[in-house]
Amino acid sequence: MHIPDNRGSEVKRGLIITINLLIMGFILFFIIRYANAKAEESNKNEIIAFEKMTVTTNQIITNYLEDEQRLCDVWANYINRSAEDGAPMTAEDAVSYIRKAKISSEIEGHLIFLDSPRREGLSTTPTVSDEGDYSVTYKNINIFDNIESDSDEHGVVSLTRAYTNPMNGVQSIAFLNNVTVLEEEGGAPKEGLLMRVVPLSRLEQKLVFLKGEYENVEISLVDKKGNYVVHGKSFKNSNFFEYYKSYNAATAEEYEHVTKEIASGTGTMTIKNFKKEDCILSYTPLETMKTWVLLAYIPANDLVASRSIDWLLLGIATLGFLLLLIFNSIVMMIYNRELSEAAKQANQANEAKSNFLSTMSHDIRTPMNAILGLNEMVLRDSKDDNIRMYAESIRTAGSTLLGIINDILDFSKIEAGKMEIINVDYSFVSLLNDLINMVQKKAEDKGLFFKPDVDKDIPMVLNGDEIRIKQVIINILSNAVKYTKEGGITFSVKANKLQDKPNAVMLRVSVSDTGIGIKPEDLDKLFVAFQRIEEKRNRNIEGTGLGMTIVQRFLDMMGSRLEVESEYGKGSVFSFELEQKVVKWDPIGDFEEAFRRSSSTLNKYHEKFTAPDARVLVVDDTAVNLTVFVNLLKRTGIQIDTAESGDECISLFGSKSYDVIFLDHMMPDKDGIETLMEMKEITDTPNMGVPVICLTANAISGMREMYTNAGFDDYLTKPIDAERLEMMLLQYLPEDKVTIASENGDADEKELPDFLYGIKGLDADAGMDYCGDAEDYIMALETFLGSAEKKAEEIENFWAERDIKNTTVKVHGLKSSFRAIGALKLSEFAAELEKAGNDGDTDRLDKDLSELISGYRELVKELEPLKNL
Amino acid sequence: MLLLQGCGSQKKGDAPFAPKYDKDTEFSLTVAGSYGNFESLEAEFERFYEYYPNANLQYVTMDDYKNVIPSALVSSEPPDIFTTNGSMIGDEKYDAMFEACEVFSDSSVGIDYSCIRDSLIRTTDSGDVVMLPIFTTSYGMLVNMDIFEKEGLKVPNNFKELMDVCAKLKAAGYESPVMGPDVFSGSGLFNCFAYPMFAYDVMKNSDKVDALNNLESASGEMMRPALERLSEFVNSDCIDIAKCQEEITDEYEAVIMRFFEGDVPMMLATGDVVSGTGKRESKSDAFTANPFKYRFYTVPAGDDGGYFINSISICFSVNKNSRNLDMANEFMRFLISKKELSNMAASKRLITPIDDFSTNELYSSLADIPADRSFSDKETGLMDPAVRQFRAAIYAVGNGTMTVDEAVAAYGNIPEE
Repeated sequence: MHIPDNRGSEVKRGLIITINLLIMGFILFFIIRYANAKAEESNKNEIIAFEKMTVTTNQIITNYLEDEQRLCDVWANYINRSAEDGAPMTAEDAVSYIRKAKISSEIEGHLIFLDSPRREGLSTTPTVSDEGDYSVTYKNINIFDNIESDSDEHGVVSLTRAYTNPMNGVQSIAFLNNVTVLEEEGGAPKEGLLMRVVPLSRLEQKLVFLKGEYENVEISLVDKKGNYVVHGKSFKNSNFFEYYKSYNAATAEEYEHVTKEIASGTGTMTIKNFKKEDCILSYTPLETMKTWVLLAYIPANDLVASRSIDWLLLGIATLGFLLLLIFNSIVMMIYNRELSEAAKQANQANEAKSNFLSTMSHDIRTPMNAILGLNEMVLRDSKDDNIRMYAESIRTAGSTLLGIINDILDFSKIEAGKMEIINVDYSFVSLLNDLINMVQKKAEDKGLFFKPDVDKDIPMVLNGDEIRIKQVIINILSNAVKYTKEGGITFSVKANKLQDKPNAVMLRVSVSDTGIGIKPEDLDKLFVAFQRIEEKRNRNIEGTGLGMTIVQRFLDMMGSRLEVESEYGKGSVFSFELEQKVVKWDPIGDFEEAFRRSSSTLNKYHEKFTAPDARVLVVDDTAVNLTVFVNLLKRTGIQIDTAESGDECISLFGSKSYDVIFLDHMMPDKDGIETLMEMKEITDTPNMGVPVICLTANAISGMREMYTNAGFDDYLTKPIDAERLEMMLLQYLPEDKVTIASENGDADEKELPDFLYGIKGLDADAGMDYCGDAEDYIMALETFLGSAEKKAEEIENFWAERDIKNTTVKVHGLKSSFRAIGALKLSEFAAELEKAGNDGDTDRLDKDLSELISGYRELVKELEPLKNL
Repeated sequence: MLLLQGCGSQKKGDAPFAPKYDKDTEFSLTVAGSYGNFESLEAEFERFYEYYPNANLQYVTMDDYKNVIPSALVSSEPPDIFTTNGSMIGDEKYDAMFEACEVFSDSSVGIDYSCIRDSLIRTTDSGDVVMLPIFTTSYGMLVNMDIFEKEGLKVPNNFKELMDVCAKLKAAGYESPVMGPDVFSGSGLFNCFAYPMFAYDVMKNSDKVDALNNLESASGEMMRPALERLSEFVNSDCIDIAKCQEEITDEYEAVIMRFFEGDVPMMLATGDVVSGTGKRESKSDAFTANPFKYRFYTVPAGDDGGYFINSISICFSVNKNSRNLDMANEFMRFLISKKELSNMAASKRLITPIDDFSTNELYSSLADIPADRSFSDKETGLMDPAVRQFRAAIYAVGNGTMTVDEAVAAYGNIPEE
């Protein structure tokens, strides 16, 4: 488990805050839209209500006008009835009648004769300037040309525009009716116009009620030309349309439109007042007098809901959201801190677990080394079949346990992020050999067939993490063996060239078995750590449940993935593709055949050599390991000194002479590398140039480079494999101290590859004689081949430094090696140069050493095909 | 200490109007007048509301104003302020009305009208100032400045220059460099041309005024210089009377619209006509398409220059019986100031009564008229009948129905329209 670092949580916090802000913005946007929509709706409703008020006002005015008209008609009817009855009133009588009939002193009755030159007549009230003068003239008051009248079911309303009452100068309107009166002179009936003159202020009073509802409303009445009958305070000019034009910058079309709209019916419009403010104007034609229009004016701000309420709401909402955000952020921060603390603790615990696992694994491997090593002794020494059988079981169980420990170790490394892929050049054949050697026996032990199917064209040397690849395939193969009861396993490897990458091949590894198979629903569990499929059914099968997880992780790290096809009860196919760089394109050839041949030579352990004169120093802080080491070499007769610490080693290194030193890497106080460095500094020692081999429990790719760079000559992994140990000793011990063991009858004759006989300068028979048999001879050749380049470089380097002593020592070693493999001419050549070295003949060395080295390298090159075997 | 606002304070340092009463005072005032529209006054209402936001001032147009206003003042709904004019004072018909007016000359009223030209102040027989001029007018001509600029000419200052300029304009293709309405009234082109000169002559010969007012035939000689100059003018290249008769069919609207056609360098007109130009600019397609700059000038009829005869257009009086007398006086105190009177005059496009013409560019040329040739119609002492006889004379001479001699001889009996 890995907990994200602080930067990661900052990003997440930023993201959360951003999302919060976005949501907040969206909600606020929605509120604004909603509030605006509501405000618009409310405004619309307000305007509709205002328009309704206008219509109501219209009704009030209409009623009033009709009432006044009716009163005028009553007067006229009375006067006309007299005329109809044949006794028309005189003008004086008529006016006198009206004077009595009218109730209000403000209202006057005028009886006008329009056909008189000055539109004269009589008034019920004398002129204010002369109390005795009742005559009235409308000569200079132009109201009769445009008498407004209309009719509906109630009758006729006929009235003037607002004008100035000539008798008293009061702005008035007059309701009209025709009457017949008696002419004063001549006594003939004549038509007169009866006027009920009402101060305009009475009409205006009818509109006062509106002030309660709309404080700033102004009601105006205009005639069809727009001239005011009743004039609102805010309306300038004497004509509404002129007013509109003055303050609204309207085009001719707009002006036309407005005049038509207002004349055509009820409605509402927005206009600008003289202050350029928006105002709502509601208009409706008077019901009684369609040619008069009622205008209700109000500043838009009074009617339209103020947005400040919306902003307040918005402000509070915003503040609320922000507080919520801050609160949430604080809570989140506190939780995050706690979580982060918990995660830290979990990380520490996890790390502790990984360390524990890692340490435990390592620590278990060490005693395992002892167990397996000692068990190996038992196997070698015991002649009792029962004991050998028990020991065999211990070996199997030990191997299994070691596998489990290795898995745990790997897994803990992966978890801790310490696992790295280290690419090195490797021989694919060698890899295959290891794989098949490890699996084939297990398969055969279970009675299963194991069928390798290896592409002949796979290049010989590839570059990749050999150890991990091997682990992946072994895991898959081991699983296949574990979960297969009948049938067997087919292991197939193919290589395909990549078109776009000329230096690489795509390996396709496939393992198919006839095992129990996996249910489709269990496939996902395959890669879950510690999870085992069908636990109940497979409880007898060993495993940690880590195998496939590790496989998948390793493949991930190498840029690949595991593919699984499985049919429950019938078997599975595990496959993956892996791109590998090609170092050497030579094809590996028929691997199965070579393998079959080499398999047949497998036999029981027997010591390869004896070297009673040789002395070896083994350094390990674990006494048991030392015991194992000593016992593994017991039959070779080698003299073995042991040391349990670096210091003890250094002490022995200075005092006693050894042929090879095995030095453990991981030791307390002074580890192997530190010890080696100190040893290199010591000049006064009989062990100058003695090979030092590192013992290590860490099996990782690139280890050789690491230890070589540290100054070691080679390395050997623990638990120590007896054969590898012996091979290494054969390589590093002076040949004259080694006596190759004689043939034991168990072994079958092995034939030498033909090409060996064709190599110029190599006497295969002499070599075989020297080594004892073909197998040992090939082994010697392989050992020779494995260390050839290193040795050649060492000699060149020593000679480059004019280190004649070490050069001579190395040439001496070369001489022995050449002889051992039957390269007799080169051996003689080396002997000559050794002598020259001993004689201090630098000229000879200068002259011939390079020839020896090149001959050496040529031979190595010719022996290369051995690696394919 | 009484705080005098208005003109006086302006002279002292342009102090703004200081309201005398509480800002929140609620009151209504009605201003009555004969103007159908009085937008310049309504604009002042709005400015007054800045000091008294709860005030409600309304302008009311009265029908048959001259006859009705005396009655209106004693009616149940009398106006608080009303318009009067020069002809009303001294007319016994209005004696009662003026008696009911606030006396502005009474210092306790607190209205300082010193910024108004003295010649425009009218008093009652008892010397009371009961009306204060708001707008004044005059006789003169509208000048199309763009034409003069285009032709590289200067607006003529005297009669000789007028003749020269007209000749050049005629030569440049202007058929009638001067035009005007051929009507009998005071707005007529002959009156605009000759009356200021005649009035000046009369003023300079005040001993002849009574004879003229009495329509004594012999006093007709006083008209001769003006009639001869008129005759000289109508018979020059300056004006084509027939064209005027044909193309200018009334004394107001047609004058303005013809002038806006843009091809008349000088249009004889009164200040009242000029006041109508503002609203008609947009009504004239020609002017809208090709607007030009125009100014009002006196007519350069005299050898030394033109004459600026200034007559009152309207005055404001305050109804002493107003239910809101204090506030009516407060509004007058606000209004009678250089600033507000200039605003009103500029808005109405009439001549301001204050002694500073620079506030309105349209009439700015009047500032150049020497004091000697600048006077008010009151100073002539001429009565209406004498004025009408002079108009009859110039109408006859101008239209060629009488010679100068005939007109002079016929004074007192010249047929009027």
